[in-house]
Amino acid sequence: MRRVAVIGVGVTKFGKHDRTSAELFAQAGADAILDAGIAPSAIQALYFGNVTGGETERQLHMAPLAATLLGLPNVPTTRFENACATSHVAFRHAVMEIASGVSDVILVGGAERVLNVPTESATEFFAYCSDASLEQPAGLTFPGVFALIARAHMDKYGTTEEQMAHVAVKNHRHGTLNPKAQFQKEISLETVLKSAYVADPLKLYDCCPFTDGGAAVVLASEEVARRHRRPIWVLGTHAASDTMFVQEKRDLSRVTATERAAQGAYRQAGKTPADVDVVELHDCFTIAEIVATEGLGFFEPGTGGLAAEKGWTSLGGKLPVNPSGGLKAKGHPIGATGAAQIAEIVTQLRGEAGKRQVDGATTGLTHTLGGNTATVLVSLFGRD
Amino acid sequence: MTERVIHLKDFFEEARAGHLTAIRCGRCGALAIPPKEFCEQGHQREWQPVALEGAGTVVSFTVIRIAPRGRSGEVPYAVAVVRLAEGVSLLGRVVDIPFGTLKAGLPVRFRPLEIDGRTMIGFGPA
Repeated sequence: MRRVAVIGVGVTKFGKHDRTSAELFAQAGADAILDAGIAPSAIQALYFGNVTGGETERQLHMAPLAATLLGLPNVPTTRFENACATSHVAFRHAVMEIASGVSDVILVGGAERVLNVPTESATEFFAYCSDASLEQPAGLTFPGVFALIARAHMDKYGTTEEQMAHVAVKNHRHGTLNPKAQFQKEISLETVLKSAYVADPLKLYDCCPFTDGGAAVVLASEEVARRHRRPIWVLGTHAASDTMFVQEKRDLSRVTATERAAQGAYRQAGKTPADVDVVELHDCFTIAEIVATEGLGFFEPGTGGLAAEKGWTSLGGKLPVNPSGGLKAKGHPIGATGAAQIAEIVTQLRGEAGKRQVDGATTGLTHTLGGNTATVLVSLFGRD
Repeated sequence: MTERVIHLKDFFEEARAGHLTAIRCGRCGALAIPPKEFCEQGHQREWQPVALEGAGTVVSFTVIRIAPRGRSGEVPYAVAVVRLAEGVSLLGRVVDIPFGTLKAGLPVRFRPLEIDGRTMIGFGPA
């Protein structure tokens, strides 16, 4: 298999947009192509992620539409959908197409637009990512899924609502350093703890927002990447799945797909958790960050809450987690999130992250979780 | 009989009538809800239907206060994962139990719920 590098990244501002998902992706894609310094004609395939376009925009067949708006109508395209892990799944498949020798340069990413519909509609469409036979009829929402996980983690380890709140405070603080973030305002522990319950024990400020946005990265074979100034190498990328049914998870305090995806990615990269300098992980809810830092092997099971409380995951701490502000503050356009996380890690490893730069970072990790923890992707990146 | 309960539609029809059913692997004895083709353990396909008694205990729960479109009139409502006495778990709506008394380990009992013509799995006091 050939080595693969990220040579260009592009991310739109996250927040509310009056442009369509396809337009948002096209903008990010053009930015990524210019960042790579390649001719648009070098792109041999487009791997595109979107989740709710059929519902929010009455638009399917969005991948060729995105290519058309990009000005590359003849490039072969594929659309991916794996809930919130969508564009990380697309990324892994693009890596495989280049690694196998089929293509040399691929544009991959995704976009989402949901702020054009009422919150209760967006809540409904996101709930489509859980099972429609048992879970949706019971009225289970995504905050509900992670509330079940939070309750189990609290019962088993004594994790507190205050520890969860520390994750929100930290990621909002990081968000103030990211001009692309949806929220660029610090919040206090009290603000989080006094916010209304959405699904007990999760409160409004434990939840990431609904977000419009697009993100894209340009992937290249080693031969092409070597001609570029700053290739960031894909050291490993691994996917894992778990049962779609929350009731079938053997231990709700864990996300076993995260653990399996991480083990696969570390093995492929020849790295261990101790080698990782900077992390972008899936903090769709504050408890999700706590459980992920444990599942990725950074902290012992049950100590993720303590890590947040002690500031170990803050910029300047032992292991900075979500310097971009994470899904919590940067925002979570679900089809774009995986690619946006990769773009942040690439920016960090290039040393171009400005005020949120993790000094001397050489190895980075991205973790993206889809739906009720049924899809998880973990990738590792390194620089020369 | 195996044929009849292997589909979700039948599971819900039975549930609506107050009968909770699962399928049991003829080889290893593992139980499954919802029905599936291969047993997760040994990948056998030798299922037999089995009636469940309906008693269980709460594993984890939440009180939903922001609902999807069309469900706003139902909030707040509790949803729980319940481990049934037979050893298989099931997610459902919790009714007739004050939110403040919900906790892991609380005994509950299955009951079918009908809201706006939709059948859902419910659990009430044991």
